[in-house]
Amino acid sequence: MSGAVGAVGAVYDRGYRPYDGPRRGRGGTVAALFVASIRRALGIRRSWRQKVFPWVLLAIVTVPAVVNVGIGYVTRDTPAEGFSFITYREYVGVSSALLLFVALTAPDVVCPDRRHRVLSLIFARPLVGHDYVLAKVGAVTTIVFGFSILPQVVLFVGQMLVSDGALDYLRDNAEVLWQVPVAAGLLAVYYATIGVVVASLTSRRIVAGVALLALALVPSVVTGAVIANDADESSPVAVLDLLSLPLHLRDVVFLGHVDPDSPLGGVSAGGLMAAGMYTLVLVAAVAILLLRYREPDA
Amino acid sequence: MARVDTPSFVADGLTKLFPGGTTALDGLTVAVPRGSVGLVGANGAGKTTLFRLLLGLIGPTNGSVEVCGMAVATDPIGVRRRLGFMPEHDCLPPDQTAADVVATFGELSGLPPRAARQRASDVLDLVGLDEARFRSMAGFSTGMRQRTKLAQALVADPELVLLDEPTAGLDPIGREEMLALVERLGTFGISVVLATHLLDDVQSVCDHVVMIDGGRLVLSGPTEKLLERAGTVRLDVGGRSEDLGRALRHRGLTTEVLEDGTAEVTADGQDIDDVLDIVRDTVADLGLPLHSLSTGYASLDEVFLSQASGR
Amino acid sequence: MSTDGPVVTALSTGDPAFAAEATVEVRDLSVWFGPKVALSELSCSFGPGVTGLLGPNGAGKTTLMRAMTGLLGPKSGRVRVLGRDPRASREVQRSLALVPEDEAVPAGLTARQLVRYVADLHGVVDRTAVERCLDEVDLTDVADRKVGGFSKGMRQRVKVAAALVPDPTVLVLDEPLNGADPVQRAHLIALFRRLGAEGRTVIVSSHVLHEVERLAQRQIVLLQGRLAAAGGHRAIRDAMADRPRRMLVRTPAARQLAASLLGLEAVSGVTVDDGSIVVSSSRAGEVATALPRLARDLDTRLEEVRPLDDSLESLFRELVR
Repeated sequence: MSGAVGAVGAVYDRGYRPYDGPRRGRGGTVAALFVASIRRALGIRRSWRQKVFPWVLLAIVTVPAVVNVGIGYVTRDTPAEGFSFITYREYVGVSSALLLFVALTAPDVVCPDRRHRVLSLIFARPLVGHDYVLAKVGAVTTIVFGFSILPQVVLFVGQMLVSDGALDYLRDNAEVLWQVPVAAGLLAVYYATIGVVVASLTSRRIVAGVALLALALVPSVVTGAVIANDADESSPVAVLDLLSLPLHLRDVVFLGHVDPDSPLGGVSAGGLMAAGMYTLVLVAAVAILLLRYREPDA
Repeated sequence: MARVDTPSFVADGLTKLFPGGTTALDGLTVAVPRGSVGLVGANGAGKTTLFRLLLGLIGPTNGSVEVCGMAVATDPIGVRRRLGFMPEHDCLPPDQTAADVVATFGELSGLPPRAARQRASDVLDLVGLDEARFRSMAGFSTGMRQRTKLAQALVADPELVLLDEPTAGLDPIGREEMLALVERLGTFGISVVLATHLLDDVQSVCDHVVMIDGGRLVLSGPTEKLLERAGTVRLDVGGRSEDLGRALRHRGLTTEVLEDGTAEVTADGQDIDDVLDIVRDTVADLGLPLHSLSTGYASLDEVFLSQASGR
Repeated sequence: MSTDGPVVTALSTGDPAFAAEATVEVRDLSVWFGPKVALSELSCSFGPGVTGLLGPNGAGKTTLMRAMTGLLGPKSGRVRVLGRDPRASREVQRSLALVPEDEAVPAGLTARQLVRYVADLHGVVDRTAVERCLDEVDLTDVADRKVGGFSKGMRQRVKVAAALVPDPTVLVLDEPLNGADPVQRAHLIALFRRLGAEGRTVIVSSHVLHEVERLAQRQIVLLQGRLAAAGGHRAIRDAMADRPRRMLVRTPAARQLAASLLGLEAVSGVTVDDGSIVVSSSRAGEVATALPRLARDLDTRLEEVRPLDDSLESLFRELVR
């Protein structure tokens, strides 16, 4: 009987197999683009050279948190002289590292698609211009948010651990748990959107990066100069400082109002003005993006 | 699976003007059947513009187009779900692996991630990149890049693929391999529109030819039919065409000896079958070698040239 | 179908790699770039008429073309154009023209301006030369349009016109027919053949073998930096006597005719498929002579007879295998 087994044979088609499985809608496409963009920016599945920068910057930004916790621990019994501990509010701020990070990440996520002419392949897929914009802005926002949040987590957990009673610390600082994510989110959306808009205008990453830095620094320097001339060091002009604009919103989240020490401090309805300008900037940016990706250059 | 009843695409008075004055397409009206179709025209004739209109990437200035039975104007997304596109230009990110890129494009076409990986693997195997697919594309030759481009067009199991100059930059071996791949697509039930300026590519692979020039339709017809030439027989008898000609004229057949040494016999009202038999018998009688014999044009090039000179 | 041109490159006795009245000679030419050997002791020559230069990517065609036109020097061996070293002699350089495939053209100039510029550069005195050259490549109608807006095929033609204007004796062209439509290609092919007939040495490199077949009677085939074959493609095919040629025959009584053919000693194999036969033989001529007789004996109509290996493409395939 065993001989009969060898008597039967068949060759199965090794050619093309059609696909009959499920297909995701546009949402799936957006999700796929979102994930692919994040992977690219973080250097996952790419050479180690491309992985280095984002993580090095993240390390740099986490240093203050570590230092804070360290000194807090060391001086827990004796008061620290001359060292001002960083507050959560201040830590959710624009540091040069964050700026550099956005100037590196946004172009990296956006420009190569245009540079290598991948756009025509992407748009031959079942997706529309605003799907692309959503995925790209979403990806950069997520990364920037993560970048801001991680050091905060280190700081909070660190502080919790070196304090006298971890649970007490948690209870006393409970509002931080919502303030930090909201503020970081507002900042992330803002910087990410501007980053993507500027990057979408060129196919070269370096040009985009430099343009972003210029866009951040120039209005800041100019408005700074204008305000310095003003007697009481605060003026509505501060709203035009694109770099620091979301910081006012951050202050509103943490303090309920604009920081009195900031250039917008003495201005009446300063918070409202900041919020209005913030919205305006975002709307303009999105409008430009939708136009840019409506008929993509092949 | 390809639905054989609907045409691959139907253009109706399709016109596209670009700002700056160029008329890329001018009232193009043609119905292109399923199967393998060659879209022929010089660079600048409007082939790439037509592809972009088919994909709904740009809108027509006038007229309309339907792809796989669906109007592009009303549902470009739906159309793109059924289409695969292989552009002429370089379009692959150079720092990733072929497997990664094709899988990503599969996901972008709507395949779930695991299925996308699987399909990418299958399709890269199909185009002959089974070993190289895990290497970075930075070291890929033109042939390998072209094949990866084809793979991404096939990964989502399209009904119809648009290939823009797929043999560009390939050496004769690469061309042959690419054309063989394109031919196989038909056996998988995938329809093809092959845009090229090379008639020889079309002749070997396509069942139907559409020729455009200056944005207008020049002709559209099955390859076999185009190559047909009623009432003429051409033969090569190894340089002895004069002798053959004399003998055939003796038997009442008009024969001309052409520049390249071949003989052309024209049937004036006689049945072509009878002509063929007389020719065969005459050649046999004279003991001449019959190197070639045909009742059609030798190549599509000849077809178009005779058309052009007849204009 | 390759056709005879009025001027066929006469060959020196024996070796088809060398032309009798050679204008471009290459002897033991070796070129390497670091570890990569582009050309390896290549010896061949080119003469008046049109010669095709073929080979897979990386075979050394571009390197050879650049060496022939003096753009790069041999690491060993030598190149002589009209008897002189193309790198050293300015006079020879004036008689040489290279039309590379991928070189950019200055987009802001019109076709006429570009050709005139090249004419001035070469000190061409004849005022009608510019117009004549534009006419040769069918660009007279668009001569005043900016080259930047030209399609690929048109840009190729402008480059050819510019190359022609100094009236070169030796013209080397890399993929000159790229991007042109059938009518333009026919004109260009006719142009090159005319130039060859005038006695110029025209060397054309192309991957589109059907075109090279129509264009050039003589071919030089390179493989991996070495000379793989030289001569007319049918002659080369004949030289590969050990590989049988195949012929397609379409006839109603295919199976019977196939059986008949198998009876011939010259036939090495026969395949039948649905009304058509493919016959393999190393003595194709004998089979061709016997075929009509056998068909008549069986009273079966010969609808089509076609040699399958007659093209440059199939020759190429055989060589590269």
